[in-house]
Amino acid sequence: MGAIWVFAEISPDGPHPAALELLTKARAIGDDVAAVALGPGATAAAPELGAHGATTVYASDEPVFADQPGRAAAHTLRALIETHAPSLILFAGTYDARDVAGRVQALTGSTLMANATDVESPTRARTEIFGGTKYVDVDLAGPEPRLVLVRPRSFPAEHSGGTATVVSVDAVVPDGAAATVIERHAEVAGGPKLEEANVVIAGGRGLGGPDPFAMLDDLAAAIGGAAVGASRAAVDAGWVPYSYQVGQTGKTVKPEVYIAAGISGALQHVVGMKGAKRIVAINKDADAPILRIADLGVVGDLFQIVPALTEEVRKRASS
Amino acid sequence: MRRARVRWALISAARPTARTDGLGARAGRELTQVLGQRKLFQKALPGAMHAFIFWGFLVLFPTIVEAMLAIVNPDWTLPILGHAAWFAFLVDLFATMVAVGVGIAFYIRKVQKPDRFRGSHMGEADRILLTILSIVTTLLLWNATQIALGTFSHPSAAPVANALSNLFGTGQPTEALERVFVWAHILIVLAFLTYLPKSKHLHIITAAPNVFFAKNGPSGYLAPEHIDLEGSEEDMRFGVATAQDLSKKQLLDLFSCTECGRCQEVCPAWATGKPLSPKLLIMDLRDHVAGIDPAAMAAGTIELQPLVPSAVTDEVVWDCVTCGACVRECPVDIEHVDTIVDLRRNLVMAESRFPTEAGAMLRGVEGPNENPWGQPAASRTDWIGEIPVRVLQPGEQAPEYLFWVGCAGAFDDRAKQTTQSVARLLNAAGIEWAVLGPRERCTGDPARRMGHEYLFQMLAEQNVATFAEAGVQKIVATCAHCFNTLANEYPDYGANLEVVHHTELLSHLIAEKRLLTTPGADGTVTYHDACYLGRHNGNFDAPRDVLGATGLSATEMERARERSFCCGAGGARMWMEEGGDARINDTRFAEAAGTGADTVAVACPYCFVMLDDAAKAAGSEMRVADVATLLAEATLSESGT
Repeated sequence: MGAIWVFAEISPDGPHPAALELLTKARAIGDDVAAVALGPGATAAAPELGAHGATTVYASDEPVFADQPGRAAAHTLRALIETHAPSLILFAGTYDARDVAGRVQALTGSTLMANATDVESPTRARTEIFGGTKYVDVDLAGPEPRLVLVRPRSFPAEHSGGTATVVSVDAVVPDGAAATVIERHAEVAGGPKLEEANVVIAGGRGLGGPDPFAMLDDLAAAIGGAAVGASRAAVDAGWVPYSYQVGQTGKTVKPEVYIAAGISGALQHVVGMKGAKRIVAINKDADAPILRIADLGVVGDLFQIVPALTEEVRKRASS
Repeated sequence: MRRARVRWALISAARPTARTDGLGARAGRELTQVLGQRKLFQKALPGAMHAFIFWGFLVLFPTIVEAMLAIVNPDWTLPILGHAAWFAFLVDLFATMVAVGVGIAFYIRKVQKPDRFRGSHMGEADRILLTILSIVTTLLLWNATQIALGTFSHPSAAPVANALSNLFGTGQPTEALERVFVWAHILIVLAFLTYLPKSKHLHIITAAPNVFFAKNGPSGYLAPEHIDLEGSEEDMRFGVATAQDLSKKQLLDLFSCTECGRCQEVCPAWATGKPLSPKLLIMDLRDHVAGIDPAAMAAGTIELQPLVPSAVTDEVVWDCVTCGACVRECPVDIEHVDTIVDLRRNLVMAESRFPTEAGAMLRGVEGPNENPWGQPAASRTDWIGEIPVRVLQPGEQAPEYLFWVGCAGAFDDRAKQTTQSVARLLNAAGIEWAVLGPRERCTGDPARRMGHEYLFQMLAEQNVATFAEAGVQKIVATCAHCFNTLANEYPDYGANLEVVHHTELLSHLIAEKRLLTTPGADGTVTYHDACYLGRHNGNFDAPRDVLGATGLSATEMERARERSFCCGAGGARMWMEEGGDARINDTRFAEAAGTGADTVAVACPYCFVMLDDAAKAAGSEMRVADVATLLAEATLSESGT
């Protein structure tokens, strides 16, 4: 049996978390595990790849891999395959790796299986159907190496404590037309993402309009690392965009602290935030269902309470 | 004729629909709905217009034969009919009625211009109507020239033709005109017959069989699509992907549509500015299917395009609330909802393509807690509080009634009020009842209406097993969707139960004097019919009877009973975000508020949540409450059990 390879996506910030998950899995399938890391940051990432199970890291720091996404990596990978003949290559189901895997399959004529949730052996992988209620085990036939795209977060990433030998690789870039990256736009993050924030402040119908959301923004800024969300009622009313919506048909959040301002706590909303460690509710109606699930319930006028809270947070932060 | 053959070949090659049971009901529909034009008369003027033309042509059919004989030899005519004064009278009367009918049709189309025609082929309709008019005009003129020439046996029996005969002399020109009119009559009829197969007027052939093969029984019933994962792949079907997957009835539906737009006019999605119109859905599917060569399809030499998005967009398929207003309105019994669900089945089960936000519901229903909100199963009994309630334990036999609380009734704060009211009323009436508590799981209805037939099937099989184990015979349900599923769809999975909706049981208990009521409540109420209780299952009176026992003064919305307007939550729309110009629940609530009543009464937790949300969004003081809660307030004392 040949080696098990992991196509490890890397960036100057380090390897993609999915690469470490796949290496952990690859160790369980075979003894000879290697990682292929192409692009700026590859050599620097090698120790971490080694610590997760790669005994060899085929690495190249050439910028062409970042400039010609997919194409350069696929051709280089084909050259590596021809030299080293691995049995199986695992790819994470990310945008970039899917692009590479598809190209490699077309170049080598091997077998590609997408959307795998587990890999049992170099010849068998598993996927889910019917929304995860049924498993299908797939036997991989065809010429080696077989290619499997695995859903990210299917396995935990665990240290092996090993180290990797770094083998430097030359980039193989064929002549001819290629799509190249000419410009990059980094998404300007306006505070943390709703799903990732430690503190979420959400507004509901009780805010009465779009403008009071500025009040919640102020509080979020004062706390720092906080995100602003909303109930469906506030989104339906058009006060904030759908991306703010927390609940059954919106986002599910699990922050350390969830502050619900002017939200009654209908089931549709509660299912999206009940996983919060601490729930603080501010509502003028003492019978509001949200107060029953809140760790701290404040019955009163949010237009007085929220600015006062913001003031207090600022005062304590500066002292 | 080639086009007729093409349509026939498509239908005969299609998947069969098992619709030959209950022949009495089917024959009955032919009498009332086809001959009697029952559904057409749901609109008075268009109904009269259509009946005049339809009945006219039934009577006039022999005259076409008569005219054909007269072409060969002017002296030939039909035996008996050709010489009967009464028949001459009928022909004269009905030919005139057809002409009047065409006049009304043009008045409706050109003067009234109802919005239901938006998107219909207006020019085609004009051509058809003018052809009809010319058929009867040439007939009347032919008869008039015969009268002028003295060759018509009973001139006085045909007053219109008789009056027209004054236009003509007795000489040579009239003899020539007589030939011209009879030839024109026959040629126009023949031309019309060749035009028919490619036009929407084909309904004169397809409507009667389409009505015959329509669904018997409650319209809320969906036919199962059994999924056996161990079975052969060839038998496996996941709804409708391409034209090849449509059933015979579904194809007949497409070729029966005349684009009258009655469905469009009542559709909640269309009324609130969504892309879905049931009429346009049928037209788009028809135009797609009509472009397929059936021989190539059978031979597999063409690659069939998926109906979604080639014929209709994803959005159209997901806009439907499955309220069934279109189906009820359709004069030729087109079943739009069943086709939409079949399209969804393919999108969900084969393609995993559906509005993302509904995924949480599917995961919740599939998940360990088996309810759309993913709430802990153990909290299904949280509503009970101080109320004496028996929770049926495994191994115990069910008492007379099993109270099917439903997921909304167990987890939603508003719906819980209904559950509590019903529990108190059942206790007050001395009914022996119990709940399943944590052993209850979703009926699978929201998954089924989403198209996830496999998930529905699993839940149905599990629930039916629970019923069998506990010996359940009678079920009372507060949710109209649970009610419809348990009563109409669970028999397909082996359940043999008597299922009642709580409004039916309460109305029965009041009538039997087992629930003593004092109609002492003050105020006014308007009742909102739930689609899956009313239109889909014909229960309109029980909730109104219960309200009658409260003492509240009832007032009706304009769209009530069979023509109730959906709250917007059906068809799993409860779990999807809504686009369009307006929200369906806001639209319906505005109508309820327009009655000036203090309270809008509901009989389904979905309607409760949707209308209550709309009331809050409108900042309205109008109260939304279930019929049972209003009864409990009027009947039970504060300390009531």
